[in-house]
Amino acid sequence: MKRSHDSDAWAHRALGGGLPVLLLVLWLAASETGMVAPYLLPHPKDVLATAASYVFGHGGQAGFAGRFVDDFSASIARVMLGFGLAVLVGLPLGILSGRLALVNRLLGTTINALRAVPGISWLPLALVWFGIGLKTTVFLVALAAFFPIYLNAEAGARQVNPTLLRAGAMMGVRRLRGTFAILLPAAMPNIITGLRLGLGISWAYLVLGELTGVPNGLGAMIMDARMLGRIDVIVVGIIFIAVIGRLCDVGLHQALRLAFKSARRLP
Amino acid sequence: MKPKLKIVSSRQRPADARAILEVEGLSKGFATNGAGEILVLNKVEFTVRKGEMVCIVGRSGCGKSTLLNILAGFTFPDRGRVRLRGRPVDRPAPDRCVVFQEDALFPWLTVRENIAFGLKTHSMSRRDKEREVDRFLALVGLTDFGGYLPSEISGGMKQRVALARVLILQPEVLLMDEPFAALDAQTREEMQDLLLHLWAKLTHSIVFVTHDVGEAVLLADRVLLFENAPGRVKEEIAIDLPRPREKDTGRYYALCRAITSKMKRV
Ligand SMILES: Nc1ncnc2c1ncn2[C@@H]1O[C@H](COP(=O)(O)OP(=O)(O)OP(=O)(O)O)[C@@H](O)[C@H]1O
Ligand SMILES: [Mg+2]
Repeated sequence: MKRSHDSDAWAHRALGGGLPVLLLVLWLAASETGMVAPYLLPHPKDVLATAASYVFGHGGQAGFAGRFVDDFSASIARVMLGFGLAVLVGLPLGILSGRLALVNRLLGTTINALRAVPGISWLPLALVWFGIGLKTTVFLVALAAFFPIYLNAEAGARQVNPTLLRAGAMMGVRRLRGTFAILLPAAMPNIITGLRLGLGISWAYLVLGELTGVPNGLGAMIMDARMLGRIDVIVVGIIFIAVIGRLCDVGLHQALRLAFKSARRLP
Repeated sequence: MKPKLKIVSSRQRPADARAILEVEGLSKGFATNGAGEILVLNKVEFTVRKGEMVCIVGRSGCGKSTLLNILAGFTFPDRGRVRLRGRPVDRPAPDRCVVFQEDALFPWLTVRENIAFGLKTHSMSRRDKEREVDRFLALVGLTDFGGYLPSEISGGMKQRVALARVLILQPEVLLMDEPFAALDAQTREEMQDLLLHLWAKLTHSIVFVTHDVGEAVLLADRVLLFENAPGRVKEEIAIDLPRPREKDTGRYYALCRAITSKMKRV
Protein backbone atom coordinates (compact mmCIF):
# COMPACT_ATOMS: atom_id res chain seq x y z
CA MET A 1 0.00 0.00 0.00
CA LYS A 2 2.65 2.44 1.19
CA ARG A 3 4.90 1.27 -1.59
CA SER A 4 2.45 2.08 -4.37
CA HIS A 5 1.91 5.46 -2.77
CA ASP A 6 5.61 6.16 -2.94
CA SER A 7 5.91 5.05 -6.53
CA ASP A 8 2.87 7.21 -7.35
CA ALA A 9 4.64 10.21 -5.89
CA TRP A 10 7.71 9.40 -7.92
CA ALA A 11 5.70 9.03 -11.08
CA HIS A 12 4.19 12.41 -10.36
CA ARG A 13 7.54 14.06 -9.94
CA ALA A 14 8.92 12.34 -13.02
CA LEU A 15 5.96 13.66 -14.97
CA GLY A 16 7.04 17.25 -14.22
CA GLY A 17 10.48 16.50 -15.66
CA GLY A 18 9.07 14.74 -18.70
CA LEU A 19 8.35 17.79 -20.81
CA PRO A 20 11.81 19.38 -20.46
CA VAL A 21 13.41 16.04 -21.38
CA LEU A 22 11.15 15.72 -24.41
CA LEU A 23 12.02 19.27 -25.52
CA LEU A 24 15.70 18.51 -25.09
CA VAL A 25 15.41 15.37 -27.21
CA LEU A 26 13.54 17.28 -29.94
CA TRP A 27 16.17 20.01 -29.83
CA LEU A 28 18.95 17.45 -30.08
CA ALA A 29 17.24 15.75 -33.03
CA ALA A 30 16.65 19.02 -34.83
CA SER A 31 20.29 20.04 -34.44
CA GLU A 32 21.75 16.64 -35.38
CA THR A 33 19.66 16.36 -38.55
CA GLY A 34 20.41 19.95 -39.50
CA MET A 35 16.74 20.87 -39.54
CA VAL A 36 17.50 24.01 -37.57
CA ALA A 37 20.50 26.10 -38.51
CA PRO A 38 23.01 26.68 -35.68
CA TYR A 39 22.74 30.46 -36.05
CA LEU A 40 19.05 30.18 -35.12
CA LEU A 41 19.44 27.59 -32.38
CA PRO A 42 22.88 26.21 -31.51
CA HIS A 43 23.53 22.53 -30.88
CA PRO A 44 22.87 21.45 -27.25
CA LYS A 45 26.50 20.41 -26.79
CA ASP A 46 27.67 23.88 -27.78
CA VAL A 47 25.22 25.42 -25.36
CA LEU A 48 26.44 23.05 -22.66
CA ALA A 49 30.03 24.05 -23.35
CA THR A 50 29.10 27.72 -23.21
CA ALA A 51 27.26 27.15 -19.93
CA ALA A 52 30.28 25.37 -18.46
CA SER A 53 32.62 28.17 -19.48
CA TYR A 54 30.12 30.77 -18.21
CA VAL A 55 30.11 29.15 -14.80
CA PHE A 56 33.58 27.66 -14.42
CA GLY A 57 35.74 29.51 -16.97
CA HIS A 58 38.27 32.19 -16.13
CA GLY A 59 37.61 35.76 -17.08
CA GLY A 60 39.48 37.25 -20.00
CA GLN A 61 39.75 34.31 -22.38
CA ALA A 62 36.23 34.88 -23.73
CA GLY A 63 33.80 37.69 -22.93
CA PHE A 64 31.42 35.59 -20.88
CA ALA A 65 33.71 33.09 -19.22
CA GLY A 66 33.35 32.97 -15.45
CA ARG A 67 30.81 35.78 -15.29
CA PHE A 68 28.14 33.60 -13.68
CA VAL A 69 28.84 34.22 -9.99
CA ASP A 70 28.98 37.95 -10.53
CA ASP A 71 25.80 38.05 -12.68
CA PHE A 72 23.95 35.69 -10.40
CA SER A 73 24.73 37.54 -7.19
CA ALA A 74 23.84 40.88 -8.76
CA SER A 75 20.53 39.55 -10.06
CA ILE A 76 19.52 37.68 -6.97
CA ALA A 77 20.28 40.73 -4.82
CA ARG A 78 18.05 42.90 -7.02
CA VAL A 79 15.25 40.35 -6.99
CA MET A 80 15.40 39.91 -3.23
CA LEU A 81 15.47 43.66 -2.63
CA GLY A 82 12.56 44.33 -4.96
CA PHE A 83 10.55 41.31 -3.83
CA GLY A 84 11.27 42.10 -0.19
CA LEU A 85 10.02 45.67 -0.64
CA ALA A 86 6.88 44.38 -2.33
CA VAL A 87 6.24 41.96 0.56
CA LEU A 88 6.90 44.63 3.17
CA VAL A 89 4.38 47.00 1.61
CA GLY A 90 1.96 44.65 -0.15
CA LEU A 91 1.31 42.14 2.62
CA PRO A 92 0.26 44.55 5.41
CA LEU A 93 -1.69 46.78 3.02
CA GLY A 94 -3.45 43.77 1.52
CA ILE A 95 -4.41 42.34 4.93
CA LEU A 96 -5.60 45.76 6.14
CA SER A 97 -7.63 46.39 3.05
CA GLY A 98 -9.17 42.91 3.25
CA ARG A 99 -10.38 43.61 6.79
CA LEU A 100 -11.08 47.34 6.93
CA ALA A 101 -13.64 48.77 4.51
CA LEU A 102 -12.12 52.22 4.95
CA VAL A 103 -8.64 51.16 3.85
CA ASN A 104 -10.15 49.19 1.00
CA ARG A 105 -12.06 52.18 -0.28
CA LEU A 106 -9.00 54.38 0.14
CA LEU A 107 -6.65 52.09 -1.81
CA GLY A 108 -8.90 49.98 -4.01
CA THR A 109 -9.54 52.38 -6.87
CA THR A 110 -5.97 53.58 -7.15
CA ILE A 111 -4.41 50.15 -6.97
CA ASN A 112 -6.78 48.66 -9.49
CA ALA A 113 -6.14 51.53 -11.88
CA LEU A 114 -2.36 51.19 -11.53
CA ARG A 115 -2.64 47.45 -11.96
CA ALA A 116 -4.03 48.00 -15.45
CA VAL A 117 -0.81 49.79 -16.49
CA PRO A 118 1.62 47.33 -18.14
CA GLY A 119 4.80 47.17 -16.11
CA ILE A 120 6.97 47.98 -19.11
CA SER A 121 5.45 51.44 -19.40
CA TRP A 122 7.04 52.30 -16.05
CA LEU A 123 10.48 51.70 -17.48
CA PRO A 124 11.04 55.13 -19.08
CA LEU A 125 9.79 56.89 -15.99
CA ALA A 126 11.93 54.72 -13.73
CA LEU A 127 14.97 55.51 -15.88
CA VAL A 128 14.30 59.23 -15.48
CA TRP A 129 13.76 58.93 -11.74
CA PHE A 130 16.44 56.46 -10.80
CA GLY A 131 18.86 56.30 -13.71
CA ILE A 132 20.39 53.10 -14.98
CA GLY A 133 21.18 50.36 -12.47
CA LEU A 134 20.18 48.95 -9.18
CA LYS A 135 17.43 51.38 -8.23
CA THR A 136 15.50 51.18 -11.49
CA THR A 137 15.59 47.40 -11.48
CA VAL A 138 14.56 47.15 -7.85
CA PHE A 139 11.76 49.64 -8.46
CA LEU A 140 10.39 47.66 -11.41
CA VAL A 141 10.63 44.36 -9.54
CA ALA A 142 8.96 45.77 -6.44
CA LEU A 143 6.19 47.37 -8.46
CA ALA A 144 5.44 44.23 -10.43
CA ALA A 145 5.55 41.91 -7.42
CA PHE A 146 3.40 44.23 -5.32
CA PHE A 147 0.13 43.58 -7.15
CA PRO A 148 -0.19 39.80 -6.84
CA ILE A 149 0.99 39.95 -3.22
CA TYR A 150 -1.43 42.73 -2.30
CA LEU A 151 -4.42 41.31 -4.16
CA ASN A 152 -4.07 37.77 -2.83
CA ALA A 153 -3.46 38.92 0.74
CA GLU A 154 -6.56 41.09 0.46
CA ALA A 155 -8.71 38.25 -0.87
CA GLY A 156 -7.37 35.90 1.79
CA ALA A 157 -8.03 38.31 4.64
CA ARG A 158 -11.49 39.16 3.34
CA GLN A 159 -12.55 35.53 2.99
CA VAL A 160 -11.53 34.43 6.49
CA ASN A 161 -14.46 32.68 8.12
CA PRO A 162 -15.89 35.26 10.58
CA THR A 163 -16.77 32.47 13.00
CA LEU A 164 -13.06 31.78 13.48
CA LEU A 165 -12.50 35.41 14.46
CA ARG A 166 -15.47 35.25 16.83
CA ALA A 167 -14.13 32.03 18.31
CA GLY A 168 -10.82 33.76 18.93
CA ALA A 169 -12.48 36.80 20.49
CA MET A 170 -14.49 34.71 22.91
CA MET A 171 -11.35 32.84 23.94
CA GLY A 172 -9.83 36.14 24.95
CA VAL A 173 -7.77 36.98 21.88
CA ARG A 174 -7.34 40.71 21.33
CA ARG A 175 -6.94 42.45 17.99
CA LEU A 176 -3.19 42.26 17.47
CA ARG A 177 -2.73 38.67 18.59
CA GLY A 178 -5.84 37.75 16.64
CA THR A 179 -4.16 39.09 13.53
CA PHE A 180 -1.16 36.84 13.95
CA ALA A 181 -2.83 33.85 15.59
CA ILE A 182 -5.96 33.66 13.43
CA LEU A 183 -6.12 36.06 10.51
CA LEU A 184 -2.71 35.34 8.98
CA PRO A 185 -2.87 31.55 9.31
CA ALA A 186 -6.41 31.45 7.97
CA ALA A 187 -5.40 33.58 4.98
CA MET A 188 -2.15 31.64 4.49
CA PRO A 189 -3.13 29.68 1.35
CA ASN A 190 -3.94 32.93 -0.46
CA ILE A 191 -0.88 34.68 0.92
CA ILE A 192 1.35 31.87 -0.36
CA THR A 193 -0.23 32.06 -3.81
CA GLY A 194 0.42 35.81 -3.86
CA LEU A 195 4.03 35.45 -2.74
CA ARG A 196 4.79 32.77 -5.30
CA LEU A 197 3.21 34.73 -8.14
CA GLY A 198 5.06 37.82 -6.94
CA LEU A 199 8.42 36.09 -6.87
CA GLY A 200 7.83 34.63 -10.33
CA ILE A 201 7.01 37.99 -11.82
CA SER A 202 10.01 39.48 -10.00
CA TRP A 203 12.33 37.48 -12.26
CA ALA A 204 10.51 38.70 -15.36
CA TYR A 205 10.85 42.33 -14.35
CA LEU A 206 14.42 41.83 -13.20
CA VAL A 207 15.41 40.99 -16.75
CA LEU A 208 13.44 43.98 -18.04
CA GLY A 209 15.30 46.27 -15.64
CA GLU A 210 18.66 44.76 -16.51
CA LEU A 211 18.14 45.11 -20.24
CA THR A 212 18.71 48.83 -19.90
CA GLY A 213 22.46 48.74 -19.81
CA VAL A 214 23.62 47.71 -16.36
CA PRO A 215 27.06 46.08 -16.36
CA ASN A 216 26.11 42.83 -14.63
CA GLY A 217 23.18 40.49 -14.00
CA LEU A 218 21.54 37.72 -15.96
CA GLY A 219 19.47 40.19 -17.98
CA ALA A 220 22.55 42.26 -18.79
CA MET A 221 24.35 39.10 -19.90
CA ILE A 222 21.53 38.28 -22.32
CA MET A 223 21.57 41.83 -23.66
CA ASP A 224 25.37 41.80 -24.11
CA ALA A 225 25.10 38.47 -25.91
CA ARG A 226 22.49 39.85 -28.31
CA MET A 227 24.81 42.76 -29.10
CA LEU A 228 27.65 40.35 -29.88
CA GLY A 229 25.42 37.90 -31.74
CA ARG A 230 26.23 35.12 -29.27
CA ILE A 231 22.98 33.18 -29.50
CA ASP A 232 24.44 30.28 -27.48
CA VAL A 233 24.95 32.67 -24.57
CA ILE A 234 21.38 33.93 -24.89
CA VAL A 235 20.09 30.36 -24.68
CA VAL A 236 22.28 29.72 -21.63
CA GLY A 237 20.88 32.88 -20.02
CA ILE A 238 17.29 31.83 -20.65
CA ILE A 239 17.84 28.35 -19.25
CA PHE A 240 19.61 29.72 -16.18
CA ILE A 241 16.79 32.16 -15.46
CA ALA A 242 14.21 29.40 -15.85
CA VAL A 243 16.09 27.07 -13.52
CA ILE A 244 16.88 29.72 -10.92
CA GLY A 245 13.30 31.00 -11.02
CA ARG A 246 11.98 27.51 -10.41
CA LEU A 247 14.46 26.90 -7.59
CA CYS A 248 13.46 30.18 -5.97
CA ASP A 249 9.81 29.17 -6.14
CA VAL A 250 10.51 25.81 -4.53
CA GLY A 251 12.77 27.44 -1.95
CA LEU A 252 10.15 30.04 -1.03
CA HIS A 253 7.44 27.45 -0.70
CA GLN A 254 9.61 25.19 1.45
CA ALA A 255 10.73 28.09 3.63
CA LEU A 256 7.12 29.10 4.25
CA ARG A 257 6.16 25.53 5.06
CA LEU A 258 9.06 25.33 7.46
CA ALA A 259 8.18 28.60 9.17
CA PHE A 260 4.39 28.36 9.42
CA LYS A 261 2.15 25.54 10.61
CA SER A 262 -0.66 26.91 8.52
CA ALA A 263 1.49 26.73 5.38
CA ARG A 264 2.26 23.09 6.15
CA ARG A 265 -1.21 22.01 7.11
CA LEU A 266 -3.66 23.92 4.96
CA PRO A 267 -4.27 22.77 1.39
CA MET B 1 -49.52 9.15 35.36
CA LYS B 2 -49.91 12.75 34.32
CA PRO B 3 -46.76 14.84 34.11
CA LYS B 4 -46.60 17.88 36.25
CA LEU B 5 -46.02 20.94 34.08
CA LYS B 6 -44.89 23.96 35.99
CA ILE B 7 -45.66 26.89 33.80
CA VAL B 8 -44.46 30.31 34.76
CA SER B 9 -45.09 33.26 32.52
CA SER B 10 -41.92 35.17 31.90
CA ARG B 11 -43.42 38.30 33.46
CA GLN B 12 -44.27 36.85 36.87
CA ARG B 13 -41.17 34.83 37.50
CA PRO B 14 -39.92 35.42 41.05
CA ALA B 15 -36.50 37.00 41.19
CA ASP B 16 -33.77 34.55 42.01
CA ALA B 17 -30.91 35.81 44.09
CA ARG B 18 -28.50 33.35 42.54
CA ALA B 19 -29.25 34.29 38.95
CA ILE B 20 -25.93 34.94 37.28
CA LEU B 21 -27.10 35.77 33.75
CA GLU B 22 -29.87 38.33 33.46
CA VAL B 23 -31.51 39.24 30.19
CA GLU B 24 -33.83 42.23 30.29
CA GLY B 25 -36.08 43.66 27.59
CA LEU B 26 -33.85 42.56 24.73
CA SER B 27 -35.02 43.79 21.31
CA LYS B 28 -33.19 43.57 18.04
CA GLY B 29 -34.15 44.32 14.46
CA PHE B 30 -32.40 43.86 11.15
CA ALA B 31 -32.64 46.02 8.07
CA THR B 32 -33.64 43.72 5.23
CA ASN B 33 -33.40 44.02 1.52
CA GLY B 34 -36.86 45.13 0.45
CA ALA B 35 -39.02 44.35 3.49
CA GLY B 36 -37.65 47.23 5.54
CA GLU B 37 -36.73 46.61 9.16
CA ILE B 38 -37.77 43.30 10.68
CA LEU B 39 -37.98 42.79 14.41
CA VAL B 40 -36.20 39.56 15.29
CA LEU B 41 -36.20 39.74 19.08
CA ASN B 42 -38.99 41.47 20.97
CA LYS B 43 -38.46 42.23 24.69
CA VAL B 44 -36.82 38.94 25.54
CA GLU B 45 -36.55 38.42 29.28
CA PHE B 46 -35.13 35.55 31.28
CA THR B 47 -32.48 34.68 33.80
CA VAL B 48 -30.13 31.76 34.20
CA ARG B 49 -29.10 30.57 37.62
CA LYS B 50 -25.69 29.41 38.58
CA GLY B 51 -25.12 25.88 37.36
CA GLU B 52 -28.46 25.74 35.61
CA MET B 53 -29.11 24.22 32.20
CA VAL B 54 -31.62 26.25 30.21
CA CYS B 55 -32.77 25.07 26.81
CA ILE B 56 -34.21 27.52 24.32
CA VAL B 57 -36.61 25.83 21.94
CA GLY B 58 -38.14 27.52 18.95
CA ARG B 59 -38.88 27.24 15.28
CA SER B 60 -36.26 28.02 12.68
CA GLY B 61 -35.79 31.74 12.18
CA CYS B 62 -37.26 32.86 15.52
CA GLY B 63 -34.01 34.56 16.51
CA LYS B 64 -32.29 31.93 18.65
CA SER B 65 -28.88 32.45 17.07
CA THR B 66 -29.33 36.21 17.21
CA LEU B 67 -30.03 35.93 20.94
CA LEU B 68 -26.99 33.75 21.52
CA ASN B 69 -24.79 36.15 19.54
CA ILE B 70 -25.92 38.97 21.81
CA LEU B 71 -25.26 36.91 24.94
CA ALA B 72 -21.80 36.12 23.62
CA GLY B 73 -21.10 39.79 22.92
CA PHE B 74 -20.70 39.32 19.15
CA THR B 75 -23.60 41.64 18.33
CA PHE B 76 -25.53 44.22 20.25
CA PRO B 77 -29.22 44.62 20.99
CA ASP B 78 -31.18 47.68 19.91
CA ARG B 79 -32.79 47.82 23.33
CA GLY B 80 -32.46 46.00 26.61
CA ARG B 81 -29.41 44.59 28.33
CA VAL B 82 -27.57 41.49 29.34
CA ARG B 83 -25.72 41.24 32.62
CA LEU B 84 -23.41 38.54 33.89
CA ARG B 85 -22.96 38.66 37.66
CA GLY B 86 -24.39 42.15 37.54
CA ARG B 87 -21.82 43.44 35.03
CA PRO B 88 -23.09 44.46 31.60
CA VAL B 89 -22.02 42.27 28.70
CA ASP B 90 -20.43 44.42 26.01
CA ARG B 91 -17.85 42.22 24.29
CA PRO B 92 -16.88 38.60 23.81
CA ALA B 93 -14.94 37.15 26.73
CA PRO B 94 -13.95 33.72 28.05
CA ASP B 95 -16.57 33.90 30.81
CA ARG B 96 -19.22 33.28 28.13
CA CYS B 97 -18.02 30.75 25.60
CA VAL B 98 -19.84 29.47 22.56
CA VAL B 99 -19.97 26.06 20.94
CA PHE B 100 -20.99 26.89 17.39
CA GLN B 101 -23.28 24.87 15.23
CA GLU B 102 -20.83 24.77 12.36
CA ASP B 103 -17.25 23.62 12.52
CA ALA B 104 -15.31 26.52 14.01
CA LEU B 105 -12.04 24.82 14.95
CA PHE B 106 -8.81 26.31 13.66
CA PRO B 107 -8.00 24.00 10.75
CA TRP B 108 -4.25 24.64 10.91
CA LEU B 109 -3.99 23.53 14.55
CA THR B 110 -4.08 19.97 15.83
CA VAL B 111 -6.76 18.81 18.25
CA ARG B 112 -4.34 19.41 21.08
CA GLU B 113 -3.33 22.87 19.88
CA ASN B 114 -6.97 23.82 19.38
CA ILE B 115 -7.75 22.89 22.97
CA ALA B 116 -4.68 24.75 24.23
CA PHE B 117 -5.44 27.88 22.17
CA GLY B 118 -7.34 29.84 24.81
CA LEU B 119 -4.78 29.06 27.51
CA LYS B 120 -1.97 30.83 25.68
CA THR B 121 -2.56 34.15 27.42
CA HIS B 122 -3.00 32.55 30.83
CA SER B 123 -0.22 33.05 33.31
CA MET B 124 0.32 29.37 33.94
CA SER B 125 3.48 27.36 33.66
CA ARG B 126 3.98 25.41 30.49
CA ARG B 127 3.74 22.13 32.38
CA ASP B 128 0.48 23.10 34.05
CA LYS B 129 -0.95 24.01 30.66
CA GLU B 130 0.11 20.69 29.20
CA ARG B 131 -1.43 18.88 32.13
CA GLU B 132 -4.65 20.86 31.79
CA VAL B 133 -4.86 20.07 28.07
CA ASP B 134 -4.28 16.39 28.81
CA ARG B 135 -7.06 16.46 31.37
CA PHE B 136 -9.57 17.94 28.93
CA LEU B 137 -8.48 15.65 26.10
CA ALA B 138 -9.28 12.77 28.44
CA LEU B 139 -12.55 14.34 29.61
CA VAL B 140 -13.89 14.45 26.05
CA GLY B 141 -12.42 11.04 25.23
CA LEU B 142 -9.84 12.20 22.68
CA THR B 143 -6.60 11.27 24.42
CA ASP B 144 -5.42 9.31 21.40
CA PHE B 145 -6.33 12.01 18.90
CA GLY B 146 -4.33 14.98 20.17
CA GLY B 147 -2.10 15.03 17.11
CA TYR B 148 -4.86 14.88 14.52
CA LEU B 149 -5.95 17.83 12.43
CA PRO B 150 -9.64 18.83 12.40
CA SER B 151 -9.87 17.71 8.79
CA GLU B 152 -8.86 14.21 9.89
CA ILE B 153 -11.57 13.61 12.51
CA SER B 154 -15.34 13.09 12.39
CA GLY B 155 -18.06 15.66 13.03
CA GLY B 156 -18.77 14.29 16.49
CA MET B 157 -15.11 14.44 17.44
CA LYS B 158 -14.89 18.01 16.19
CA GLN B 159 -17.71 19.02 18.52
CA ARG B 160 -15.89 17.28 21.36
CA VAL B 161 -12.85 19.42 20.62
CA ALA B 162 -15.08 22.50 20.41
CA LEU B 163 -16.44 21.63 23.84
CA ALA B 164 -13.03 20.98 25.35
CA ARG B 165 -11.41 24.15 24.03
CA VAL B 166 -13.98 26.32 25.80
CA LEU B 167 -14.50 24.26 28.96
CA ILE B 168 -10.77 24.47 29.63
CA LEU B 169 -11.28 28.23 30.07
CA GLN B 170 -13.84 27.58 32.82
CA PRO B 171 -16.61 29.78 31.44
CA GLU B 172 -19.41 30.75 33.80
CA VAL B 173 -21.94 30.31 31.06
CA LEU B 174 -21.60 27.95 28.14
CA LEU B 175 -23.62 29.04 25.10
CA MET B 176 -24.48 26.27 22.68
CA ASP B 177 -26.18 26.92 19.34
CA GLU B 178 -27.70 23.67 18.09
CA PRO B 179 -24.29 22.05 18.57
CA PHE B 180 -25.41 18.51 17.79
CA ALA B 181 -27.92 19.21 15.03
CA ALA B 182 -25.56 18.11 12.27
CA LEU B 183 -24.71 14.76 13.89
CA ASP B 184 -26.32 11.37 13.34
CA ALA B 185 -28.76 10.15 16.00
CA GLN B 186 -26.35 7.82 17.75
CA THR B 187 -23.48 10.30 17.89
CA ARG B 188 -25.92 12.95 19.09
CA GLU B 189 -26.92 10.75 22.02
CA GLU B 190 -23.27 10.16 22.89
CA MET B 191 -22.65 13.88 22.83
CA GLN B 192 -25.67 14.58 25.01
CA ASP B 193 -24.39 12.07 27.56
CA LEU B 194 -20.94 13.62 27.41
CA LEU B 195 -22.35 17.11 27.86
CA LEU B 196 -24.37 16.04 30.91
CA HIS B 197 -21.36 14.27 32.36
CA LEU B 198 -19.11 17.30 31.93
CA TRP B 199 -21.78 19.66 33.20
CA ALA B 200 -22.19 17.61 36.39
CA LYS B 201 -18.45 17.64 36.85
CA LEU B 202 -17.65 21.26 36.03
CA THR B 203 -20.83 23.03 37.24
CA HIS B 204 -21.07 25.87 34.77
CA SER B 205 -24.42 27.23 33.55
CA ILE B 206 -25.52 26.31 30.06
CA VAL B 207 -27.80 28.05 27.59
CA PHE B 208 -28.54 25.42 24.99
CA VAL B 209 -30.39 26.29 21.79
CA THR B 210 -32.16 23.53 19.93
CA HIS B 211 -35.23 22.88 17.84
CA ASP B 212 -35.33 19.27 19.01
CA VAL B 213 -37.91 19.07 21.83
CA GLY B 214 -36.70 15.62 22.90
CA GLU B 215 -33.20 16.95 23.33
CA ALA B 216 -34.47 19.88 25.40
CA VAL B 217 -36.47 17.62 27.73
CA LEU B 218 -33.51 15.30 28.15
CA LEU B 219 -31.07 18.07 29.04
CA ALA B 220 -32.84 21.05 30.56
CA ASP B 221 -33.69 22.17 34.04
CA ARG B 222 -35.91 24.68 32.37
CA VAL B 223 -37.15 25.03 28.79
CA LEU B 224 -37.81 28.46 27.34
CA LEU B 225 -40.31 28.19 24.54
CA PHE B 226 -39.65 30.87 21.94
CA GLU B 227 -42.41 32.52 19.98
CA ASN B 228 -41.86 33.06 16.31
CA ALA B 229 -41.44 36.36 14.48
CA PRO B 230 -40.58 38.34 16.49
CA GLY B 231 -38.80 36.07 18.95
CA ARG B 232 -40.04 36.29 22.52
CA VAL B 233 -40.09 33.96 25.51
CA LYS B 234 -43.61 32.58 25.29
CA GLU B 235 -43.43 30.17 28.17
CA GLU B 236 -41.06 28.71 30.71
CA ILE B 237 -41.43 25.04 31.44
CA ALA B 238 -39.58 23.51 34.36
CA ILE B 239 -38.48 19.96 33.63
CA ASP B 240 -38.66 18.14 36.94
CA LEU B 241 -37.60 14.73 35.71
CA PRO B 242 -35.01 13.17 38.01
CA ARG B 243 -31.50 12.76 36.67
CA PRO B 244 -30.03 10.71 35.13
CA ARG B 245 -32.94 10.78 32.74
CA GLU B 246 -34.24 7.91 30.68
CA LYS B 247 -35.64 8.57 27.25
CA ASP B 248 -38.19 5.75 27.17
CA THR B 249 -40.31 6.68 30.16
CA GLY B 250 -43.91 7.79 30.02
CA ARG B 251 -43.15 11.07 31.75
CA TYR B 252 -40.45 11.91 29.25
CA TYR B 253 -42.79 11.30 26.33
CA ALA B 254 -45.63 13.17 27.99
CA LEU B 255 -43.41 16.23 28.49
CA CYS B 256 -42.22 16.06 24.90
CA ARG B 257 -45.78 15.83 23.63
CA ALA B 258 -46.95 18.70 25.81
CA ILE B 259 -44.15 20.99 24.64
CA THR B 260 -44.56 19.98 21.01
CA SER B 261 -48.25 20.82 21.09
CA LYS B 262 -47.49 24.17 22.71
CA MET B 263 -44.95 24.83 19.97
CA LYS B 264 -47.60 24.25 17.34
CA ARG B 265 -49.83 26.79 18.99
CA VAL B 266 -47.05 29.36 19.12
N1 LIG C 1 -27.17 39.81 10.00
C1 LIG C 1 -28.48 39.72 9.67
N2 LIG C 1 -29.02 40.60 8.80
C2 LIG C 1 -30.32 40.53 8.46
N3 LIG C 1 -31.17 39.62 8.95
C3 LIG C 1 -30.70 38.72 9.82
C4 LIG C 1 -29.33 38.72 10.23
N4 LIG C 1 -29.16 37.72 11.11
C5 LIG C 1 -30.34 37.11 11.23
N5 LIG C 1 -31.28 37.71 10.48
C6 LIG C 1 -32.69 37.34 10.40
O1 LIG C 1 -33.17 37.21 11.70
C7 LIG C 1 -34.04 36.09 11.81
C8 LIG C 1 -33.60 35.19 12.93
O2 LIG C 1 -32.37 34.63 12.60
P1 LIG C 1 -31.62 33.60 13.56
O3 LIG C 1 -30.45 33.10 12.84
O4 LIG C 1 -31.39 34.25 14.86
O5 LIG C 1 -32.73 32.47 13.70
P2 LIG C 1 -32.62 31.06 14.40
O6 LIG C 1 -33.73 30.98 15.37
O7 LIG C 1 -31.26 30.84 14.92
O8 LIG C 1 -32.93 30.08 13.22
P3 LIG C 1 -32.34 28.62 12.93
O9 LIG C 1 -33.07 27.69 13.84
O10 LIG C 1 -32.67 28.37 11.50
O11 LIG C 1 -30.88 28.67 13.18
C9 LIG C 1 -34.08 35.42 10.45
O12 LIG C 1 -35.26 35.77 9.81
C10 LIG C 1 -32.88 35.99 9.73
O13 LIG C 1 -33.21 36.14 8.37
MG1 LIG D 1 -29.64 29.50 14.36
